[in-house]
Amino acid sequence: MRRVLDALYTAAGGLAALSILAICLLVSAQVGLNILARIGGPSLSYTIPSYADFAGFALAAASFLAMAYTLRAGAHIRVNLLVSRLPPRGQWIAEILSLALGGAMVGYATWFSVLLLAESLHYGDTSPGIVAVPLWIPQTTMVVGLGLLTLALLDTLVESLRSGRPVLIDFGSE
Amino acid sequence: MAELSDPVIFGILLTLLIALLASGLWVALSLMIMAFVAIVAFSNAPAGLVLATTLWGHSHSWPLAALPLFILMGEILLRSRLSEDMFSGLAPWLTRMPGRLLHVNVLGCAIFAAVSGSSAATAATIGRMSVPELKERGYPEDLILGTLAGSATLGFLIPPSIILIVYGVATEQSIARLFIAGILPGAMLVCLFGGYVMLRAWMSPASIPKEDDTMSFREKLVASRRLLPVMLLIIGVIGTIYTGVASPTDAAAVGVVLATVLAVMTGSFGRKEFTAALMSATRTSCMIALILFGAGFLAIAMGFTGIPRNLATWIGTFDLSPGALLAVLTVFFVLLGCFLDGISVVVLTTSIILPIVQAVGIDPLWFGIFLVLVVEMSQITPPVGFNLFVIQGLTGIDILRVAKAALPFFLLLMLGLLLITVFPGIVTMLPNAMGN
Repeated sequence: MRRVLDALYTAAGGLAALSILAICLLVSAQVGLNILARIGGPSLSYTIPSYADFAGFALAAASFLAMAYTLRAGAHIRVNLLVSRLPPRGQWIAEILSLALGGAMVGYATWFSVLLLAESLHYGDTSPGIVAVPLWIPQTTMVVGLGLLTLALLDTLVESLRSGRPVLIDFGSE
Repeated sequence: MAELSDPVIFGILLTLLIALLASGLWVALSLMIMAFVAIVAFSNAPAGLVLATTLWGHSHSWPLAALPLFILMGEILLRSRLSEDMFSGLAPWLTRMPGRLLHVNVLGCAIFAAVSGSSAATAATIGRMSVPELKERGYPEDLILGTLAGSATLGFLIPPSIILIVYGVATEQSIARLFIAGILPGAMLVCLFGGYVMLRAWMSPASIPKEDDTMSFREKLVASRRLLPVMLLIIGVIGTIYTGVASPTDAAAVGVVLATVLAVMTGSFGRKEFTAALMSATRTSCMIALILFGAGFLAIAMGFTGIPRNLATWIGTFDLSPGALLAVLTVFFVLLGCFLDGISVVVLTTSIILPIVQAVGIDPLWFGIFLVLVVEMSQITPPVGFNLFVIQGLTGIDILRVAKAALPFFLLLMLGLLLITVFPGIVTMLPNAMGN
């Protein structure tokens, strides 16, 4: 189970990384075309349709899909100035509370993002650009990403409860 | 509910936020919960719906796409041989300056700041090379540590700056203009830091060890051959943004491609290093994005409660001059920065304090640079100055001693703050010259 979940978070993180690469390639390609147009004049002027929209959607995918992976890597920022001075038991309790509260908040956000997605589907909302993308497609990355973050928070909560100590190690804190 | 006055409600919400942060809840989620409570308890807006639309609305903007790209560019150059070559490339040019190789810290940080945008990474990368080298040559310890701690904060100001992207996205300012606005203040700080080193060298010449200057101009050029392409890359990125040929996002994408080519050409950069850079950039940009989402929700929630507007009116009754308000804010930010990282300080400010600032007629573009300078100051103040931690980790020297060595540079940053307040043109001149 542990390995399945970790693989899931990492896979989503990998997809997020690919999304960033996709932004980079897409935007670079358009810049290349812009340069071509400057050199070759108006006859060589091409624009990748709705490339800014696609870059934005890839960015949303990158941000949301990486959330669980980033959490497990300990890279989300928090203040541990006070908590780190507590005795081990106090640290454990603070961690449990944070995970439970965070899980509830993100779970709530996940639920309403599902509702938003359902609304986009229902009304057939599309992006305003030349290529009208049905909004539910990119919004799926939000639902999946937030869902995974909720899962990761609850998963970590269970793990911490079982082991009797905080299990997340913050990146760069030591 | 209507019984409670706005300052009281604001006090309650702020206390809640502090409690959440202190208990170790992630910054982004603390902001989100504070916003949620603000909406549910003090307004009639549908919290869940607002949350979902804010999350989606803030996640797919074109300007924000520059963020992961610039982070990736920095991560790639960080893993290339650039950092190793920084010392050997800069040192030959600086042997005759008063203060000699201490300027490697200042200039190395400034150059690296331009590519990386993170002050902790700048301190770590430059410090790893320069601290052992300078120590061995017998430079005074307080100046080695001070120049490193102080100059590394330049990462926030010299474009491309991650924190200015965050500010720009959160306040809907043009990121291109913010970047350009950071150039002169950044250069001014480099001069202030360099000038201070010269002053110290002039006051006690005996403390600065001799360096032999036997290299010819040609040899110097050869020594810095790997630095030159990087500097060209930086100038290219900033230049295209300044002239309006490319948006920051365009420039960032091309920057990533060119940085990869450079890193591969200088050797020891392969697929493994690229993957490590990409995954690290993915984590960092996700972390920042989540904070931005939390802050975006907070800004909208506060808007629903009407608190920032009323707070602005309330502060307006004191008839503070902009100068007095800025002085109060500076103290407040430096205190806040003692406990929070720079990005969190910026997003908290933009979601609550910006209306107040705009109400007294302060230019939000100028205020962005002001804010970044204050955040830089907070990076080198104990107990939570990230640069101090990094340097402590690097050298094993106690954080308080590092902080003491960094104090003159803190004061220089303060002087810089004063200068841009008295002469706002330092900030606004270049962006105004851009036209658009």
